[in-house]
Amino acid sequence: MTVIMNNLVIPVGEEGRTRALNEVLGKLLELGVVDAMMVPTMVTPGVITYLLARDPEFARSKAEPFAPVMPVNGASFVAKVVSKKPKGKVCALLKPCEVRALTELVKLKQAEADNLLVIGIDCLGTVARGEYEKAYPDVDRLSVREACKVCLNPDPPDTAFAGINIGYIGLDDGRCLLASLSPDLDDRIRGVIEELGFEKGDGLADQRQAALAVLKEERGNSYEEFLRKTHAEQDDGGVCGIAKLLAACVGCRNCRVACPVCYCRECIFDGDVFEYETRQLLERAEKKGGLKIPGETLLYHLTRMNHMSLSCVACGMCEEACPVDIRLFPLFARIARRTQGIMEYTPGRSPEDPLPFTTFREDELEPR
Amino acid sequence: MEAAVDFEPKIVAFLCNWCTYTGADLAGVSRIQYPSNIRPIRVMCSGSVDPMYILKALLDGADGVLVGGCHAGDCHYVNGNYKARRRLAVLQEVLDESGIGCDRVWFRFISASEGALFAETVHEMVDSLKRLGPNPLKAIWFA
Repeated sequence: MTVIMNNLVIPVGEEGRTRALNEVLGKLLELGVVDAMMVPTMVTPGVITYLLARDPEFARSKAEPFAPVMPVNGASFVAKVVSKKPKGKVCALLKPCEVRALTELVKLKQAEADNLLVIGIDCLGTVARGEYEKAYPDVDRLSVREACKVCLNPDPPDTAFAGINIGYIGLDDGRCLLASLSPDLDDRIRGVIEELGFEKGDGLADQRQAALAVLKEERGNSYEEFLRKTHAEQDDGGVCGIAKLLAACVGCRNCRVACPVCYCRECIFDGDVFEYETRQLLERAEKKGGLKIPGETLLYHLTRMNHMSLSCVACGMCEEACPVDIRLFPLFARIARRTQGIMEYTPGRSPEDPLPFTTFREDELEPR
Repeated sequence: MEAAVDFEPKIVAFLCNWCTYTGADLAGVSRIQYPSNIRPIRVMCSGSVDPMYILKALLDGADGVLVGGCHAGDCHYVNGNYKARRRLAVLQEVLDESGIGCDRVWFRFISASEGALFAETVHEMVDSLKRLGPNPLKAIWFA
């Protein structure tokens, strides 16, 4: 699916790329083409969170669009902001995995895309939230998270929303940013951006694409290697491997909360289905001689894999959220690759691709 | 495999009310003999079987799970069996990757008139599970 984007060059001056991009973000608010803007911000030194800005000056001075930290996959927040048809136009500046998760949430009817302007931004990886906070401002030596090292999509998808993509990968001199406008972008917003007087940047777009192609090939290889390696580490050929991996689980459900695509408002694991009476627990313990408490941890994780692995965008937030450091990302990455593989589904690629569980073909998946 | 000789697998069967459950009924009234290893649970549609039910059965010690639905094009609810086929295919991948193995979960289309096929399927599944041996999850207390 090739989308012809309109490419404009945002020059970066002495004050750096954050200033240059924030100027554009502020302009969108100032001219009233968007009513609010959700952007990453730094609340206290080293602490990154999201800001829903209405005041253009707030956006200009406080937005941190390039902060290499993702405390939560922002798609969950956008879904909360635009869960019902918003009256005003909300703009959200998101990293590629956030855009892809949001695409899934829109398809799952958890977010309303009609009055939403998505600005996707290239991402070369984020560092763990805690590490960033501790090391700040000496953050250059930090390495990015495991999930980011093998991320196959450092660029936001062109087809996801009728929005704007901000690119910098491959534009190494840091003297400019590339704004790619979707052909379906709202005319008013297009007008405002074009009036800012940026030059056309199709040549730079080609340069970025070439750099992305090289990067994606490298990442593709390291991803394969990562899956192979972690499979060897975590899988013992039987069920003991996964049971051991998940044995430390304390049942806090943080991975579920952090997961942008685990969307059920009411989870089966929060209901009373699994609130056993003492008698039932004793019976269950008797069967095996003893029972791990909290129980049902394997059931919980396997159920989650069934429910969300098709929409998994590999952001790795599940692992970040785990208080007992279970290596969930490689496990979910392997499962997701298999389930998405048989369904020939790429989550977050396009709102047009139907969710696999909402459709079927009469002639498929045989023999069962 | 000596232990497998006396091993009688327990199979939890989720059977569609309109096809497979009626097929199982027909096997019964037709006096077709088949092993008593299955524990049938009647559901309104194979499409209503959440993979979690299957996982729960396996994790609580069932040696196998059989899901029975209508033949292609015959679903009482138009396309529940096709949706079940997708869910089961995803579940099989999860089971395989997690080491539980996909051979313990069978999904079969058996119509109301196919009592003999139902009996034959149970025979086959019991034989297959006897070869596989008991569900290893039964012995893992920390799962």
